Amino acid sequence: MSTPLERGVDMLKSQVDARVESYFSSCTHCGVCAEACLFYTETDDPRYTPIYKTEPLRKVWQQNFTLWGKLSTSLGLSKPMTENDLSDWETLVYDGCSMCSRCTMVCPVGIDIAYLIRKVKEGMAAAGFVPEGLQGASERALKFGSPMGLTSKGLLSAVGQQKKEHDIDIPVDVVGAEYLVMLSSNEVVLYTEFLTAISKIFSAAGITWTVSSKYFEATNTGVQMGDSVIAAQLLERLLEVATELKIKTVVSPECGHAYTTFRWDGPNILGRELPFNVVHIMELLDQLRKDGKLKTTGSFDERLTYHDPCNISRRGGVLEQPRNLLNQVAPNFVEMNDKKEMNWCCGGGGGVSSNERAEPLRLQVFNVKKRQLDELDVTTMVTACSNCRTMLEEGLEENEMDIEVVSITELIADHLA
Amino acid sequence: MTGIKDKKSARMRKAVYCCVLSLLFVLAAPLIPYVIDAHAEDVTSSKANKPVALQHPGINLWNDVRQRNEVTQGSSQVKGVDSGILINKTGEDWRRFRMEMLMPYGAYFMAAIVTAIVLFFLLRGKLRLPGGRSGELVCRFTLNQRTAHWFAVGIFWLLGITGLILLYGRFVLIPLLGADGFSITASACKEMHNLIGPLFLLAVLALLVLYIKDNFFNRDDITWITKGGGMFGGHVSAARFNAGEKTWFWLVMIFGFLLCITGLILDFSVFGQGREIMALSHVIHGISALILITVSFGHIYLGTIGVEGTLEGMTTGYVDANWAKSHHDLWYEEMSATAEEQQGIKQSVASSSTKPASSPAGD
Amino acid sequence: MFEQLVDGIFWNIALIVFFVGVTWRLITVLVLRSKRIDYSVARNSGVSGAIMANIRGFYPRKEVSGRIRLQVIAGYMFHLGFFVVLFFAAPHVKFIAQNITGFTYMTIPYWGFIVASEIAFAGLILLWLHRLLNPVTRLISKRSDHIATILVFVVMLTGCMALGEASSELRVLHRFSVELLMVYFPFSALMHAFMFIPSRAFTGVLLGRRGVNV
Repeated sequence: MSTPLERGVDMLKSQVDARVESYFSSCTHCGVCAEACLFYTETDDPRYTPIYKTEPLRKVWQQNFTLWGKLSTSLGLSKPMTENDLSDWETLVYDGCSMCSRCTMVCPVGIDIAYLIRKVKEGMAAAGFVPEGLQGASERALKFGSPMGLTSKGLLSAVGQQKKEHDIDIPVDVVGAEYLVMLSSNEVVLYTEFLTAISKIFSAAGITWTVSSKYFEATNTGVQMGDSVIAAQLLERLLEVATELKIKTVVSPECGHAYTTFRWDGPNILGRELPFNVVHIMELLDQLRKDGKLKTTGSFDERLTYHDPCNISRRGGVLEQPRNLLNQVAPNFVEMNDKKEMNWCCGGGGGVSSNERAEPLRLQVFNVKKRQLDELDVTTMVTACSNCRTMLEEGLEENEMDIEVVSITELIADHLA
Repeated sequence: MTGIKDKKSARMRKAVYCCVLSLLFVLAAPLIPYVIDAHAEDVTSSKANKPVALQHPGINLWNDVRQRNEVTQGSSQVKGVDSGILINKTGEDWRRFRMEMLMPYGAYFMAAIVTAIVLFFLLRGKLRLPGGRSGELVCRFTLNQRTAHWFAVGIFWLLGITGLILLYGRFVLIPLLGADGFSITASACKEMHNLIGPLFLLAVLALLVLYIKDNFFNRDDITWITKGGGMFGGHVSAARFNAGEKTWFWLVMIFGFLLCITGLILDFSVFGQGREIMALSHVIHGISALILITVSFGHIYLGTIGVEGTLEGMTTGYVDANWAKSHHDLWYEEMSATAEEQQGIKQSVASSSTKPASSPAGD
Repeated sequence: MFEQLVDGIFWNIALIVFFVGVTWRLITVLVLRSKRIDYSVARNSGVSGAIMANIRGFYPRKEVSGRIRLQVIAGYMFHLGFFVVLFFAAPHVKFIAQNITGFTYMTIPYWGFIVASEIAFAGLILLWLHRLLNPVTRLISKRSDHIATILVFVVMLTGCMALGEASSELRVLHRFSVELLMVYFPFSALMHAFMFIPSRAFTGVLLGRRGVNV
């Protein structure tokens, strides 16, 4: 039996690759990343410096992959890793980092710090230093298929409710549909308007689509926790369902990390190309708009702004599509000062939202969003990620700000021609 | 036999005497002109006002060259500053000042201040924080202010040490390193002093911009001075900077800029400045430098071992609230008031838990 | 004796350690690299992303530039001043021609040399002070960062001492400090001088493929 420390260190060792090597070799500890991190700017606590959060991995790399490190370790000159080196970092990487990767954009030597933190999390997960909230969520995800413990029964009842309340038929398990729409539990339980909205839009556009009752969950707690095994297991389920239903395109819902996981990280976690295309709902809607299949009428005249979800904008590359859609229906759309690939995170990414322990810190770092919004004097904030939406709503409530948060899809559905 | 022997030894003795005498003569021969010269000088000086009856035909030329009667400038094929002057009369004045005034009196001045500081320390010891540490921290200097301060410190001492070696090195270092060794050191110091020198202007400008705000004298400073700054007991009120600190600031500004201006004149002799300006610049440069170096001893003493809790204000940026209350009570009140006003924005008075972590992560 | 060592064997050792070390470290990155392929379907070209990231990295993003002004200004002061002195100062050009390349090239006038080194000195001192005084950099800096800074500073200071070219002792001192720096180089954060290129490229490829400009 190996100790948690050994498991963690072994996992961290296995994480060292060319990128880790070049990233750590080029870091001059200049501290610029801290100035881009909301956890540092809002707390002034230097421990939240992004590169400092990668210390466990850096130590393992330094002691096992560099000449000086190997030499001083074999001579007993450098302090070996201790369990504290991992446990002390648990709060830093899980509570004090939302994986927003804003730091990556400002690093003078181009270090992708979010990539390194993702790897630190692998070590943490292997050693068992994972916050209870996330641990529970991933157990539920494996058991029931969703981190909120929502089963397919829950989905079907939501579908039934749509029929009853809005007389809308949600296609379930349709073989050969063009699009398979994945959903986050949030959208099934909390923001059911989303289901109404997409079905309205899709039927107006005349495209065939379906949801899967077998596996509908878009979020992937394995990724949030940093456990590739769990992440791969959850992805395999998607692959299975998509193959069964003969799907060509999978649509990621308004969920940030779901999109990057399906579109960008998933194939690499699985180690093979996916047999289908992945698009974000924003990409699909903007494509439909371009093709003339999505026509809108009237306008939403409130002063509104768009919150870029990190995983969709900075890590996903979906930058212009939501803006094109907004410009079509919202004449009073204004941009925040830091936007697109340099937006500020809502504070709840990377699993922070599922981690109850992190809540006070998350609400503290929301101050940056508050400042951005105070400058604009808007009444509505639009976003394209249901997790951001929850986080923003909580933050606004905490700060007693009277701003409504809506999803773009819903906004578009309300103005269908 | 004995007679012959005696004769022989007597002749021998004579020969030895002759040898020694002739040797002494040879050795002493070069001294003769000096003796005569000295005598002659005595003669001329005793009859200084009476012109010598018989003039040497070249005497007028020589008097002009030595610039005895008036400052004259000849003309020369060599084009350049002062190229019309063969012998610079003021050069000797400058040399005398440097060797006989600046160096000895500078040394006495420094020694006196150091002795005074040591005596004061022995008498009063370290000034402890009244009431110990409160754990509450007050932000005293911003990151930019601290950076500018330590930048100035670094440049000041690089220049100070190299400058002192150039001034006093001959007495201290030649016995240690030998003449050859000192020549290398002196050359290195001169190059460093000349190269780093202009950066001091940057440092003084940065200090001026970042520190001038709270350094204007006002009425409180008079009370502070009359009470001797509280160094001899009793409490005196002070704002962010007390009169002593303000004086130091203005000394740095005045002598710092003098050092910079004269230093640049000496360093870049390509703008047509002549020897006289250079000599004058050097005099001002030397005096200013010795004043700043000496006063800095007091500044360093008060900032480090003299007063507990002062140094951390310049390293971490934060001081203990008790330190602020006891040494800068007016400033502390002001800070607390603004902190209460701006609560929720950025706290000027921070609790110890938000004090920036300072332990470096070693490898 | 020492002079001959510094000019001869020490110099050769330093040269070998420097070139072999740097090459070895760069090869490590390239060899490990071949193990990874990105299986996701690219939106834009990764290669152009890598190139863009390498160019883009030279100027700070406006969103943070106000908060990192000192690092940027002092950083550029040091690096530009240092490179001008290193590659274009007349004594260095002569030395490089005699010992490494065999040919001379453009040199800057003496005053340019002096101004460049003053700028480099100011930049290096400011960067080091920032490292020591800013809570963030004080926390994250490693011993090797400080050693590297001190070594570079010593090299620059001994170079400045030898400016008078008055004695061979000072020249030897300068060369010896350079040799120490060269030996330390491949094993320290000084490697960022080369590693920033693959680092920016990796990140540039990742984000370029996703259609995000780094």
